[in-house]
Amino acid sequence: MARAVFGRGGQPATGSVVAFDRDRSLVEAARRDPAQFDALYRKYLAQVYAFALYELADHHAAEDATERTFLRALAALPRFREQARTEDGPEASTFRVWLFRIARNVVANERRTRRRRPAASLDLALGAGLAIADGTDLEADAVTRDEAAEALRVLRTLPDDRRRALVLRFVDEMSTAEIAGILGRSEGAVRVLIHRALGSVARELGRDRLGGRDRPDGGRA
Amino acid sequence: MSRDHVDALVTDRYLDSLLAAADRHADDAPSDADLDTGVRDAARVLGRSLVRFHPSFRFEERLASRLAALASAQAGVVAAAGGSTAHGAIAGRLLGFPPAAASAFTSAASGPTDADPLLDAILRGDLDPTDADAVERAARLPGSRRPLIGGVAITSAAISIVGVAWVAWRAAHPAAHPADGTITRIARSDHVRRVAAAMSAGGLGGPA
Repeated sequence: MARAVFGRGGQPATGSVVAFDRDRSLVEAARRDPAQFDALYRKYLAQVYAFALYELADHHAAEDATERTFLRALAALPRFREQARTEDGPEASTFRVWLFRIARNVVANERRTRRRRPAASLDLALGAGLAIADGTDLEADAVTRDEAAEALRVLRTLPDDRRRALVLRFVDEMSTAEIAGILGRSEGAVRVLIHRALGSVARELGRDRLGGRDRPDGGRA
Repeated sequence: MSRDHVDALVTDRYLDSLLAAADRHADDAPSDADLDTGVRDAARVLGRSLVRFHPSFRFEERLASRLAALASAQAGVVAAAGGSTAHGAIAGRLLGFPPAAASAFTSAASGPTDADPLLDAILRGDLDPTDADAVERAARLPGSRRPLIGGVAITSAAISIVGVAWVAWRAAHPAAHPADGTITRIARSDHVRRVAAAMSAGGLGGPA
């Protein structure tokens, strides 16, 4: 049952490609007239920026990474190939997966260059008022600053792949299939990765009340 | 299927419903009896805490301008070439842009932190930006970041050797289309000729 929308190294997965992708009309419009890329840019800007911000923990670095991601996407758009399949569901967007693969590479390069880990200042970066929450009122949602700070503290203790998977799942609200496509893993591996990451978070938060039951191990998927 | 995979499936199903509940502004979602409570609580906390952040409006509009400049260059070249794009032509076309659009792109490519040294290769189709290994190799190449040509709006990242060759060629050939007149006039300017000649000779640096 394991499958990925895209395989490793950018190779498309095998299987029939169907005539459906949530962003198909926008992508086709942008191919006909590159100025129409603006619609895709506006649609995914916050998602790419948030991903970069959680990964790089630096507002300016996140902006740089976001800029590179979209410039590269526009430059490479003529070579983008839709890969949505029936089983990906009506919400599938392989353009989003493709875009985030670009973002992942930009961020990875940025991290290597800066030799900086998100652990250094993620909570500071997110709490400095440099960014604006996207339609989410923390107070209205009864989220205390302490709880959010604790969640960020725990997030930064996770290995890179676990943190990245959780950010894509919770912040960008991606499906397991999409995350698999971005990270170049099977869906099954991503499910286990997220499950174990949540187990780690639970233990760190002191909320692990599993008793004698099997509990997510501390190993890596 | 291993127990780990079964548990992971249960967790995945819960996350789907939890995120869907958040879209409805609901606090929680029904959970499977097999879902371990620690994982469920952790998911609830992360769901409340990991919010999506927006960049500033100023950044959003600045990047939109840069993308528009690049898009305009691509659109013109696509129209002229009947479908395919070539970076040299795109870079050349940037020279004929209205000043605001041209400066939007060239300034995007000029700063040491803003420039993307790999954009040339991506535009040429030589580099797939989704290929992690290829991108890493390209980023590590010495000279992947070329020097800025001081004092002019043409930057190293915005115009490659291919682009310069196009400019030099354009300077020596009359415009085949009235719309090319502006580009030709710019290409024929003494300053651009000097830059093109110097870069063609390798005097001002070029792609590694």
